[in-house]
Amino acid sequence: MSGSEGLVSRLPNDIGGLTAGSIARVEHELEPWEKRCHALADVLDFKKLINTEEKRRGVEALGSDMIGQLAYYERWIVAFANIFFAKGILTPTELAEKMSEVEARHIAGR
Amino acid sequence: MPNHLPSQSRIPGIVPALNEWPSFSPGDRVRVASRSPIGHYRVPVYLRGMTGTVVSIIEPVMVDNETEGYGQNAGSRRHYYRVSFRLRTIWAAYSGAPADELRIEIFETWLERI
Amino acid sequence: MAHEHEHDHDHPHAEISVSEMPGYYEVMETAIRELLIDKQLITGNDIRHQIEVLDSRTPALGAKVVARAWVDAAFRERLLADGRAACEELGISFYDDTRLIVLENTETVHNLIVCTLCSCYPRPVLGLPPDWYKLKPYRARAVSEPRIVLAEFGTIIPDDVEVRVSDSTAAVRYLVLPRRPEATDDYSEEQLAGLVTRDAMIGVIPVTLGMEN
Repeated sequence: MSGSEGLVSRLPNDIGGLTAGSIARVEHELEPWEKRCHALADVLDFKKLINTEEKRRGVEALGSDMIGQLAYYERWIVAFANIFFAKGILTPTELAEKMSEVEARHIAGR
Repeated sequence: MPNHLPSQSRIPGIVPALNEWPSFSPGDRVRVASRSPIGHYRVPVYLRGMTGTVVSIIEPVMVDNETEGYGQNAGSRRHYYRVSFRLRTIWAAYSGAPADELRIEIFETWLERI
Repeated sequence: MAHEHEHDHDHPHAEISVSEMPGYYEVMETAIRELLIDKQLITGNDIRHQIEVLDSRTPALGAKVVARAWVDAAFRERLLADGRAACEELGISFYDDTRLIVLENTETVHNLIVCTLCSCYPRPVLGLPPDWYKLKPYRARAVSEPRIVLAEFGTIIPDDVEVRVSDSTAAVRYLVLPRRPEATDDYSEEQLAGLVTRDAMIGVIPVTLGMEN
């Protein structure tokens, strides 16, 4: 269908010139995890584990639904996970198990 | 520091590396290619096929960020150019002043000489 | 910190405060960081140190650069020729591979910066960008209706002044060098720096005397 070609050939982040509403002057202090996520991105780029351009591509590859619903740093961290899987640096299983362990640690810490 | 030599000071017989010297110079009229790649690109759709003017050559040669996005950091170094476009030529309904411009960095493989 | 609970006796656990539980993405970030540290691909100190680097980058650095350019014409020339090198002269190191082009506002040209494709921003010299810079309304409209966007910030540019929008897509970052306000001849460099705001260096507002930091 001709409608879907646009989804494929125009990246979801390629929004220059699209119609949009007024600019709300929102800003927020980064939460600690967001700052850690930003620092992680810089360290990964510096060490060429995931360079900045790979991160951008990884965020684009999340697709319009996730991009629309995930916040800025949420997109980064999911993109990092996917890129690490593709590079064979992490596996989905080990990340899932580590995430469960992190959660359990917080619950047990009460 | 520029790593290219203006053509009048080039020593005959010196062969540059592939793509070492810039293809375009400030003042050149250039057109952005009309191709529609899928996957990672860094030339926005709003510029495809548009005609602009080279403002400056960005130094030094750098990797193609479109392949760098796939983890390929080598073998693709060429120049990026700062290119200007009149906004009224990009947007059919542009309501600002005729002289208003956009300036953007574009990798050499996206530009065609007019 | 995990600790063992004995469950063969009766005592009520304190209720888990929902606000203290890390969210899904924070758990993911923690897990990825710990796995990478375990595999010795990064260290905890790498992250801690980079947080310190990020915390040290604020608009005050950009304001210093602007004020120096206003009072020192030779510095201004060097800044316009190579923005990164001139910042490094003032001790502002760049922790990445980006270059910096400084865009001078004049009587005939008003500059503003945007990244339509993502959120490129001169972080080493301005710190982290505000949310509005990264969201759709600004990114979509700054390149197609910059004068209307500027008006939303209260900035009206006369028609005989060119509006020039720079869209970042690659390794170059931009910083706007705003015009020095009138009636500041007797200001010290430090006082001048105190007038310069982040939004003036993005180019959405001018520097005015009413904006002391």
